Amino acid sequence: MADFFSWVDKPLDTHAVLNMIIGAVVILAFILGVVTYSIYFQRKLIGWMQWRIGPNRVGPLGLLQTIADVLKLLIKEDVVPEKADRNIFLIAPILAFFPSFMVLAVIPFSANHVFTAYSNVGVLYYIALSAMTIIGVVLGGWASNNKYSLIGGMRSAAQMISYEVPLAMSILGVVLMAGSMNLVNIVEAQISFPYVWYIVPQFLGFCVFIISATAELSRTPFDLPEAESELVSGYNTEYSGFRFAFFYLAEYVYLFAMSGLGATLYFGGWSGPFLPGWIWFGIKVTCFIFFFFWLQATMPRIRTDQLLTFAWKVLIPLSIVNLVLTAVLKYLLH
Amino acid sequence: MFGFLKGLKITFAQLAHKKVTLQYPDVMPNWGERYRGVHKFYAEKCIVCNQCARICPTSCISLSGSKREDKKLHIDTYDINFEICILCDLCTEVCPTEAIQMTDRFELATYSRVDLYKNIYWLDENARKHDGIIESEGRTHAGGEK
Amino acid sequence: MGEIRTEEMLMNIGPQHPSTHGVLRVVVKVDGEIIKEADPVVGYLHRGTEKLAEDLQYTQIIPYTDRMDYLSSMVNNHAIVNAVERAMDLEVPERAEYLRIIVVELNRVMSHLVFLGTYLLDLGAMTPFLYAFADREQVVDFFNRLCGARLTYNYMRVGGVKWDTPDGWLDDVKKFVPYMRSQMGMFHELVTGNEIFLERVKGIGKFDAETALNYAMSGINLRSTGFNWDLRKNKPYSIYDRFDFNVIVGENGDCFDRYMCHMNEIMESLKIVEQALEQIPEGPVMGKVPKILRVPAGEYYSAIEGTRGELGVYIVSEGKDKPYRLKFRRPSFINLQLLPQQLKGQSMANLIAILGAVDIVLGEVDA
Repeated sequence: MADFFSWVDKPLDTHAVLNMIIGAVVILAFILGVVTYSIYFQRKLIGWMQWRIGPNRVGPLGLLQTIADVLKLLIKEDVVPEKADRNIFLIAPILAFFPSFMVLAVIPFSANHVFTAYSNVGVLYYIALSAMTIIGVVLGGWASNNKYSLIGGMRSAAQMISYEVPLAMSILGVVLMAGSMNLVNIVEAQISFPYVWYIVPQFLGFCVFIISATAELSRTPFDLPEAESELVSGYNTEYSGFRFAFFYLAEYVYLFAMSGLGATLYFGGWSGPFLPGWIWFGIKVTCFIFFFFWLQATMPRIRTDQLLTFAWKVLIPLSIVNLVLTAVLKYLLH
Repeated sequence: MFGFLKGLKITFAQLAHKKVTLQYPDVMPNWGERYRGVHKFYAEKCIVCNQCARICPTSCISLSGSKREDKKLHIDTYDINFEICILCDLCTEVCPTEAIQMTDRFELATYSRVDLYKNIYWLDENARKHDGIIESEGRTHAGGEK
Repeated sequence: MGEIRTEEMLMNIGPQHPSTHGVLRVVVKVDGEIIKEADPVVGYLHRGTEKLAEDLQYTQIIPYTDRMDYLSSMVNNHAIVNAVERAMDLEVPERAEYLRIIVVELNRVMSHLVFLGTYLLDLGAMTPFLYAFADREQVVDFFNRLCGARLTYNYMRVGGVKWDTPDGWLDDVKKFVPYMRSQMGMFHELVTGNEIFLERVKGIGKFDAETALNYAMSGINLRSTGFNWDLRKNKPYSIYDRFDFNVIVGENGDCFDRYMCHMNEIMESLKIVEQALEQIPEGPVMGKVPKILRVPAGEYYSAIEGTRGELGVYIVSEGKDKPYRLKFRRPSFINLQLLPQQLKGQSMANLIAILGAVDIVLGEVDA
């Protein structure tokens, strides 16, 4: 099996391309399942926290609720507002979704990384691609020709660009410690000497990371781009049907990808005793996702200017301090 | 500085809290005895005094009666327009013979406005349903009993 | 490089918008996200209560008042029956007075809980809303058992109240008071301590007592500026002089103070309910009133402390069974008038925070 998919260090021929396509389809199917049930998990969890039952009508325990929702979205009429910039309006959701799916290529799900690109610039690849989603969001907000969408799109541009910086800087601490940008190597560095997950030496960096990650995912308390009580629904106000589903899907794929990244960088990815690697990875990712939902159930929303001030005046200095500290320690220890 | 952690603690602690929502329409809420729902009407009790129609703030009740052999007034028609009825209870309050009363029925949604004009037969049937004389679709109540 | 051309944008917030608390429409001119001009447009929920009242007997007006400030119908009931009783010089039985105080104060708790929930919802926190509504549900249930309705009570009558309490009702309310107190502790931990919440509301939407008085504001909007004015204390009506409670005042007149005033007023209302439950006597709940109510010719004004401020009823009577003119002084409407000034120079997010803290009910604004 592993041999079949070892196309990474071979010349690109028909066989390799076929394998790539099979790999992508398998990952896509997998990620759709993950998204479906993380939405279900979110609704159940927040429901329980709010003394409610959560979805319980479609299928046993409401397990098919999300599938019913998606089905409804897919068979809905594809409405394009008359005054909208038609072409851009149509491709924006696709632009937003694609990078979210592509970043999954570098996340190592398990020790023998069948579907993982053994890329030497994995971290860089992730950050660069995830920045591309903003284009889709801004274009969607602009092309809708709706004032709420426009403000939502602009907010999300400001927010994502600002938070990209501390996110990358906090990750740099980890890169410095592992001495590699390859996510697989970063995990391997955590399971070799001195056998410690990077959450311990990089605690400050982790705090910056988790805050910026929440902001990057635009989840509460940083859900300004789609601040329901202010902007109705932000950049996707005018979207419906499967185009809306694409935005929604992108959001949840990122949730999974970001959780996977966090687990890989700070919690040793697939490593752990007794259980097989992919289970450990699943547990860690679930914990991350749980944390995001938990935040969502608790926090009010921050204001735009406070959000940007916080990024530039608090998080970036903190991440620089973390970077310098890491560098100094690394120098002293070796 | 870490006040939000307290909040996180609280939301986490509520995970096991008793659920407060009701599985309506499978489980019906338990309305009290005084619940002011759709009216029921006992034609035989009515003395056609017209007080309910007079007190109604939205004038949604219209009725007519006639003298019969026993030289007493008897009700002929009794209509309530539930499009404008606000279920304020004033009609049942003034009724001297308790001919018009309220039930705990509250689901009136319908596809046509015409359906909301309820006449004496409907109101009478509602009375018999409510008193258990004729069968009505039984649904579980919040307490558990039918 | 030349100057970048910027343009102001005209935006309609409402009448259908998640956080205008009904059908308020605010036309704002925004420069980016900064509001240059705001113009509230009211009237989408206008039902002409005052005009309708001219054609109704005094008893028939009561269900209409239910629908004004639909979050505190009991208080509205109290306002109209109190006004008619004062005008006609009617005696109300003791038990009825106590029952009125209990339901009015419970209604105040209930209404403030809705404020708490919806305000936090406006600020983006979803959970406190559901907790607040679950607790509110208990009060709604009390009212349902007492008068058969959950929102439009139509409970009070001129000269008393419609129903005496059902069995065990007073005991259940007695049990509810300490429960609600402990819940308030939870709300404080969940919300008041949260840094993001504090950042959002502290120093926002500030105005001083003088401005508030110039705009005839009342209720919590006035008290949050530190001006001590509560009709329950300053001009006691009904039997409020028999209870020991504090008037909650703020300091700075910002959104945070308004929030805290709401929270603390719940505690004070619970205090009043507790005392009333101890003192309530046995007896009839309906006094001797003429069969047809005729207010003697003349003009009468009486006001009570509503949930949102001074709720006044002005009756012009010609001695008939219907008022010649009936005017409600609706606190929500008057408190809303400062909004254009408050919003100038604020951001979109602050608009929601400020509007939410004014605590309007559109049924009352538009009547």
